[in-house]
Amino acid sequence: MKKRHLISDRILFVLPLWITVSFISIYPLISAFLTSLTDQQLVALAATKFVGANNYYAAFKDVRFLKSITNTVIFVLYAVSLEFLLGFMLALVLHRHFLRRIRGIARSLLFTPMFVTPVAVGLMFRYMLNVEYGIIPYLLRTLLGIRVDFFSPSYALFSIVLIDVWQWTPFMLLLLSAGLESLPQDCYEAAKVDGAGAFATFWYITIPLLRPIMLVAILIRMLDAFRVYEYIYTITRGGPGSATETIMYHIYQVGFRFFRMGEASSKAVVFAFVVLIFVIAIYRALRRYEEWV
Amino acid sequence: MKWVLVVCLGLGLLTGIAFAQQKVLTIIMEDLPETDIIRALLPEFYAANPDLRVVIDSMPYEAMRDKIMTQFFAPVSGYDIIIVDNPWTDEFAAAGWLTPLDDFIEATPGYNYNDFISAVADIAVYQNTIYGVPFYNYAVALIVRQDIFDARGFPIPRTLKEYVETAIALTDKAAGFYGAAMQAQRGYKIFEECANYFYALGAEVIDAEGRVVIDSPQAKEALRLYCLMVEKAAQPGAVTHGFDEAMRLMAGGRAATMISYNWMLPTLNKPEISGKYAGKFAIYPVPGSKAVLGAWYWAIPHNAADKESAWRFIAWVSSPETQKKAAILGSAPVRISVLTDPEVWEKGFGKDYYLTVLEILKTAKPLARGPYAEQIIEIVGLELNNAASGLKTVEDALRDAADELKKLLGQ
Repeated sequence: MKKRHLISDRILFVLPLWITVSFISIYPLISAFLTSLTDQQLVALAATKFVGANNYYAAFKDVRFLKSITNTVIFVLYAVSLEFLLGFMLALVLHRHFLRRIRGIARSLLFTPMFVTPVAVGLMFRYMLNVEYGIIPYLLRTLLGIRVDFFSPSYALFSIVLIDVWQWTPFMLLLLSAGLESLPQDCYEAAKVDGAGAFATFWYITIPLLRPIMLVAILIRMLDAFRVYEYIYTITRGGPGSATETIMYHIYQVGFRFFRMGEASSKAVVFAFVVLIFVIAIYRALRRYEEWV
Repeated sequence: MKWVLVVCLGLGLLTGIAFAQQKVLTIIMEDLPETDIIRALLPEFYAANPDLRVVIDSMPYEAMRDKIMTQFFAPVSGYDIIIVDNPWTDEFAAAGWLTPLDDFIEATPGYNYNDFISAVADIAVYQNTIYGVPFYNYAVALIVRQDIFDARGFPIPRTLKEYVETAIALTDKAAGFYGAAMQAQRGYKIFEECANYFYALGAEVIDAEGRVVIDSPQAKEALRLYCLMVEKAAQPGAVTHGFDEAMRLMAGGRAATMISYNWMLPTLNKPEISGKYAGKFAIYPVPGSKAVLGAWYWAIPHNAADKESAWRFIAWVSSPETQKKAAILGSAPVRISVLTDPEVWEKGFGKDYYLTVLEILKTAKPLARGPYAEQIIEIVGLELNNAASGLKTVEDALRDAADELKKLLGQ
């Protein structure tokens, strides 16, 4: 009697969450998947018909869509890697004892880019990097004699990477700094007693203890980076050519400029699977490293 | 003190009652000087229509289409009146999202619909039904630094070949001065600019029979000349530049010409925009004399709550009288009577400007029409940018554009 009462109590407590998650997450996912099996167009809703997996076949033959996947993967790999390396370096530097007095103000200043809306960041860099009257190309020309067109076909995607690094390295810094400060000091004391040097301490104590935080930081940042859209929209519109067209921008174009919702939904589902593959791959790679250690 | 409070409360109550009895019309508009001109004229509308108030929701162009779209699917549209860009008119009309206006026009005495320039008005006619009335035009023209042409002794180019040769001759990249401020950004921008080159050589994207002809020899030559301009006469980075960048270059005295909206001329000639270069700009028809036509239209969503009141505003704002006042304030006219009015010439931007605009509008042509106009613009705009960026050859770019368009149109 008491056990049955406990079970129904548990269900009752969780039920509001289930209902909320169902409406916010599960229903839209199912709806998007069902839409992806049709040829729905907003301009002719009444003529919608079931087409099965045709949208998916077409997506995998769509050169522009495949190029957008490639662009996005390249963007994510470069951006997240650079953000992690820079964020980790900054976190380690700021964690040094001799900087403790300025640690607070330094972090506050370094966190600032994170709080600027990405659209404003995109517009700002659009003009700052303009080859004719942007401040950065001007300084490069006058101080170093280098002339760079940041949005040429060769450099445009990497320029978008650098803009993302400028804005989101502070996020890595935030998480990794918090992680460093939460590490137990007794391990370091024991290592010191045993005569471990700085590098050995860093490699055998700091890295392993910080791994869960690193995993979270990389995963969160990666999920966010896959959705890059604002910089593309405000700066390049996917150009030159398709050099900076990312998955989100492509899906936006198909769904909200051309109103081909069936096609857009199928590409969104493919996108979700691409992200899932990366998330699983990263998670397993880090877990394998943990087992090896 | 007590009396002051009583009076204030009473006034507040009366104001509230007055507003409560007024119907509010919500209009979506673009964040542009044209919208400011309408706002400036609103007191006249209120004087003639005391039972109506107008709320203008202005925003950047890029945000408008999505917002309008979502309102079409609402039970009642949040916007009583919308403005529709010319590539959207057929698409919205075909989907049944716009209210036919023929009966409203016929029932409005003195409206004189035939006073609108027919090339402009016809764009909002779908299957012989009027779905929008012209608001303002943004047909393109050739804008030049007249002082530079006079000083260097160059005649104003009338053909495309002359334009390319002149622009290249005027370019001095070492000095940071360019023959043309170009907007070769992928999508609408490059198509809007390059289409003038197409028209100048008699090329089309889709012919009168609806066949895709963008890979014709004339189109290839036009695109080749456009790419030559981007390489030799335009500012670096033009392939990612839009209207803003080109305008700033021109206003900053760093370019001799630009193909841009005709209403850019009065804007560029303002000291607060161009500083010491104000007054030095002049306008001419685009080389080849057939320009890209752009225009906005007033329209009523199919699900607007009060179409009668919405039409009262549209009838007022697009009437000959209001259009004349708007033109004097700087609006780009779409009525023949306004463009040929001596008072508008005198109080506006001069006879030459308005007659040049009239000449441009008579033969101007939109980029694309039909329910797939937006997609056509994107497909062509991508391939033109591929060619201008050097990512594809002219032949490959136009071939790929043709293939995509044929797939889209089921040819």
